[in-house]
Amino acid sequence: MRVNRGCSEGNCLSERTTWLLRAILGLALIAAWEAFGAFTGGTWTSKPSLIAVRLVQWAQRDLAWHVATTLQEIVVGLAIGVPLGIALGIVLGRAPITAKILRPLILTLNSIPVVALAPLLIMWFGLGLQPKIVLVALASFLLLFFNTFAGAQAVDRDMISALELMGASARERFQKAVLPGCTTWIMGGLRNALPYALIGATVGEMMLARNGLGYLISNAAGQFDMAGIYAALVVLMILGIIVNELANRLEGWLLRWRPVAAPAWSNM
Amino acid sequence: MTRNVIELEHVSKEFDARGVKVLALDTIDLAVAPEEFVALVGPSGCGKSTVLNLVAGLLPPTSGAVRYDGAPVQGANRRVGYMTQKDTLLPWRTVEDNIGIALELKCRAVPARERRERVQAMMDFVGLTGFARHYPGELSGGMRKRAALARMLIYEPETFLLDEPFGALDAQLKLIMHQELLRMTRARRLTVVFVTHDLAEAITLADRVAVFTARPGKIRAVRQIPFGRERDAVHLRFLPEFGALHEELWDELKDEVGKGTET
Repeated sequence: MRVNRGCSEGNCLSERTTWLLRAILGLALIAAWEAFGAFTGGTWTSKPSLIAVRLVQWAQRDLAWHVATTLQEIVVGLAIGVPLGIALGIVLGRAPITAKILRPLILTLNSIPVVALAPLLIMWFGLGLQPKIVLVALASFLLLFFNTFAGAQAVDRDMISALELMGASARERFQKAVLPGCTTWIMGGLRNALPYALIGATVGEMMLARNGLGYLISNAAGQFDMAGIYAALVVLMILGIIVNELANRLEGWLLRWRPVAAPAWSNM
Repeated sequence: MTRNVIELEHVSKEFDARGVKVLALDTIDLAVAPEEFVALVGPSGCGKSTVLNLVAGLLPPTSGAVRYDGAPVQGANRRVGYMTQKDTLLPWRTVEDNIGIALELKCRAVPARERRERVQAMMDFVGLTGFARHYPGELSGGMRKRAALARMLIYEPETFLLDEPFGALDAQLKLIMHQELLRMTRARRLTVVFVTHDLAEAITLADRVAVFTARPGKIRAVRQIPFGRERDAVHLRFLPEFGALHEELWDELKDEVGKGTET
């Protein structure tokens, strides 16, 4: 039965009070930051008011374009890396002999910190979008591959046998048991790949680029523009929250059959 | 009655459990005639379930021959319906989609509408009405068993291999299922191999009861149960013949049960 996550007696806050307290806490933090900035001159910490001004300035100029660039790298990269990773993971996961031969290669690949490839990729693919797309694609490919690979090996044999006895063809056994049996694992891969895609694209842009949110950070840093650095970080944070929320939604839908409730964090 | 549907001839099965060879079945001979209901009774771990796995073709015998309808069983035997002890419901499918899965397969390809009707009828039959949209993880053990049973019944295989199918059910529902299973064996002329540790259940249902020894599993005794297919599962147990058979078979079984718990 579904776990009821309602609050127990005497341990209850209404939804409205909770949000009110959260808003007060948030405003207090911002006020404290502002006060600290005003008191010290804000050389290193900037001030929320300055950051807000910078954001408005950017928004009137080319912020949307930078955001679009970063998003484009993420979306295209994921669109390449995710399906390839899932496909190869399932193929190798269901081919134990080949997988055994390739094991050392797979382990080696798994130990590569993908963002460290950014300089190399920039040399290969130049200044445009390509090196970041390749970076995102590579990272998401590897993450999805390893998860799907593990999942395909873990599919319950008895379930597959049961379908086989019913007369299911190899293709039907794959569609009805193997592939859905991997979804938990694929989702685990996506959970990691989505934030990693954001990291990959930003790091790539910070190294060498003429646009994107990573470029905004490195450019602001180059000019010692503290408010600019923080403003770019704020935008990245918002993107991160959106990406995370998308992953939550996707997980809730893909794994709706799972009786165990999601961790309490996703309830907020 | 011409030839046997299921034949096991000098069948032994050895498992390799972490380097230790374990003999699960020791030269078993068993033949099941068409439309016969055979119950296998024995202490747990005696290899009863292994017999079903061999007949289903999910395991090859270490030695001896397993034949179905005269031909050696090689690979999955698609002419049997097999309800394993552990239910193999697909956790990501709702109860109704689990029960109807066999009808979705290309080899049957039942139209969606007819499939829905048959699934609905089957859910009413096993007492799962109202749980169509639930996932297996939301059901009790007994309900999962019933869903697994319904999933097998719905595509009407000619032979049933049942591994303690009613173990998790409450007594009343078990009686109803017994009656229905008897009715079904008559109506569809089914051949059944039924594994249970419940002697009374075996006598209630079967034409023949085989008592297994503790591991390594051998057949210790086989008794014909003379009640015919038209028997009444509810009242049968009050007949003096039932008591006598129970007594007789229990004498065979009780020593083995003791051995089973020691190992």
